[in-house]
Amino acid sequence: MTTLNRAWGNLTLTGKVLLPLLFLLLVAGPILIVLIAQFVAPFLVDLLGANLGIVRFVVAVTGVLLFSIPAAFIIIYMELKVIARMNLRVGPNRIGPAGAAMSVVHGLKVLMKEDFTPTGADHLVFTIAPVIVFLTAVMTFLVIPFGPGLVGQDLNIGLLYLFAVGGMSVVGLLIAGWASTNKYSLLGGLRAAAQVVSYEIPLTLSVVGLILLAGTMSLNQIAGQQAGWFTNWFVFRQPLGALIFFIAATAEANRTPFDLSEADSEIVAGFATEYSGMRFGFLFFAEYVNVFIISALLVTLFFGAWNAPFPFPQVEVALDPGTLGIGLLILIAAAPVVLTLVFAAPIYLIRSSTPAWQALVLGFVLFNVVAIGAVFGIAYAGLDWMAGLVWFMGKSFAFVFVFVWMRATFPRVRIDQLMGFAWKWLLPAALLNLFVTAAAIVVVDTLKAG
Amino acid sequence: MIPGIGLVRGLSLTLRRFFQPKATIQWPEVRADVATKFRGRLQLLYDEYGTLKCETCFQCAQACPIECIDMGGMDTKGRFHVHWGAPETYDERREESAMRRAGRPVADAAFTRFGAIDLAPLDAILEAHDYDPKDMLAILEETQAEYGYLPVASLKHISRVTGAWYAMIYGTATYYRHLRFEPPAVDNVPAAGEAHLAAEQAYRSSLGASLGYDQGGAS
Repeated sequence: MTTLNRAWGNLTLTGKVLLPLLFLLLVAGPILIVLIAQFVAPFLVDLLGANLGIVRFVVAVTGVLLFSIPAAFIIIYMELKVIARMNLRVGPNRIGPAGAAMSVVHGLKVLMKEDFTPTGADHLVFTIAPVIVFLTAVMTFLVIPFGPGLVGQDLNIGLLYLFAVGGMSVVGLLIAGWASTNKYSLLGGLRAAAQVVSYEIPLTLSVVGLILLAGTMSLNQIAGQQAGWFTNWFVFRQPLGALIFFIAATAEANRTPFDLSEADSEIVAGFATEYSGMRFGFLFFAEYVNVFIISALLVTLFFGAWNAPFPFPQVEVALDPGTLGIGLLILIAAAPVVLTLVFAAPIYLIRSSTPAWQALVLGFVLFNVVAIGAVFGIAYAGLDWMAGLVWFMGKSFAFVFVFVWMRATFPRVRIDQLMGFAWKWLLPAALLNLFVTAAAIVVVDTLKAG
Repeated sequence: MIPGIGLVRGLSLTLRRFFQPKATIQWPEVRADVATKFRGRLQLLYDEYGTLKCETCFQCAQACPIECIDMGGMDTKGRFHVHWGAPETYDERREESAMRRAGRPVADAAFTRFGAIDLAPLDAILEAHDYDPKDMLAILEETQAEYGYLPVASLKHISRVTGAWYAMIYGTATYYRHLRFEPPAVDNVPAAGEAHLAAEQAYRSSLGASLGYDQGGAS
């Protein structure tokens, strides 16, 4: 016992803390895991299996919340960089590689600012308004099919759900303006509400023709109907509908040239005037999530969703890794070392001035690039949802680029022009599109029957 | 006109800008190649009616680091004649240092007129050397042999004819100890003090006798 005591006494304070932790990690941890796997896991699996709907919902919500953050960050970065390039500037290039961490730093900045509530503001409503705006943006993710089977909840009224939830953001904007107890905020809120409500109507009407054609409101099925060649995309059957949807969605997401509800150069962010800190951050964040959502919706409804523009020749992965057995393990263990050496060798041999360690580091980096590429390639070839996700994201971000491009180009419209355009042009055009589509369907059906 | 063509043209313009080289200079890593004394070019602008845009606000004259802007004119309502600066600053700005800083011609107090010489022998020498500045040392030596020294006028003439810079010729001439810019001290030429020289000679010979050798001629 004395030996043990002396050894314990010899330890520094750090050691006295670390040693029990090490013991827990190495001994108690595995024992605990085995025990859990033995006794708790079957019960847990049964429980989860019995409530699969809830599990699916929780997983989907977590995934959506987690996804919305990087998506918004990427869009913010893209906006900074693309608009800068279009202004013949370079844009952010100090933080992270090519300024890529800029949006993260923006987020941190917003987090560190004082969270201020004006005197006399309706505290509860003031607090809850950004939450509503952000949640309506994030909730719409639930029904968007990111790939075959990659949908949070395949509602059969998915499109209706989208417009219902999207329409709720008006409530958020309005109460944000109201609760600030500031006449300018209130006017900004009313202005935003008027705009969003006006454009809600052509937005909804523009897809009714598409619903008639598709015969369903489930986004998943609409996506499935556009498989095959890109001529199957609904944009070729509903060009006017696609155009109206595009314009109305731009206004709905408060993007240039219809961004006058928060025109930063004119009315100091309108309804968001009194907001600061992370509450303002959420309003800001919701805007960028909205940009992604309208791009994703455009892609889902009109541009073939997760389908490739042409049917790919199916590439079969030549070797099923499962058949290798223990060989697979050996391969996984040996591949990094062998490939690093293989990639390092030519660098070392060709340039004699390169030290061995540099060649090895370069070889390791090359190996990683190749390995990640190979993993993605295999996943793309082997997994349907991976290929779908790649196409969906590619198309969505192409549309995000278009929105950013428009922001770099167009001047802002006046409020009367905005309203006049919605009611005098978009609404009649949407109705025309609806009637023409309906008539065409009736004619085609009659011809087929007759 | 097709409606919406303006939107398309605007979009195409921004897209072209997207791929064009960027105007940003990444200061401080990259610095524009501009002389340190560069202050830009002063230019008065005209508006679309051809009227001078200058409002005689004097801000440029006030800010000018070398006080070279001297301006006057009418005020914006056309009522008063206005002029920049208090009267006492004018004298200051007419000072030699201020004139020199402003890049205006200033009289050189150190300038002395050099005497004219007969350039005919110099031209002969230069002709023999084919006016080649590479033979500068030989030219200078022969010039000195001709004139006894290197007069300023001869150096100026060499410079003008060969094309070599005066400063370079002067530098070459100063480098060699045997080239001189003034006539050699006049020896052996008995001038006014003849009696004085004789007295000195007598003193020298007496000194030489006392030391046991002859000092020889005067040095």
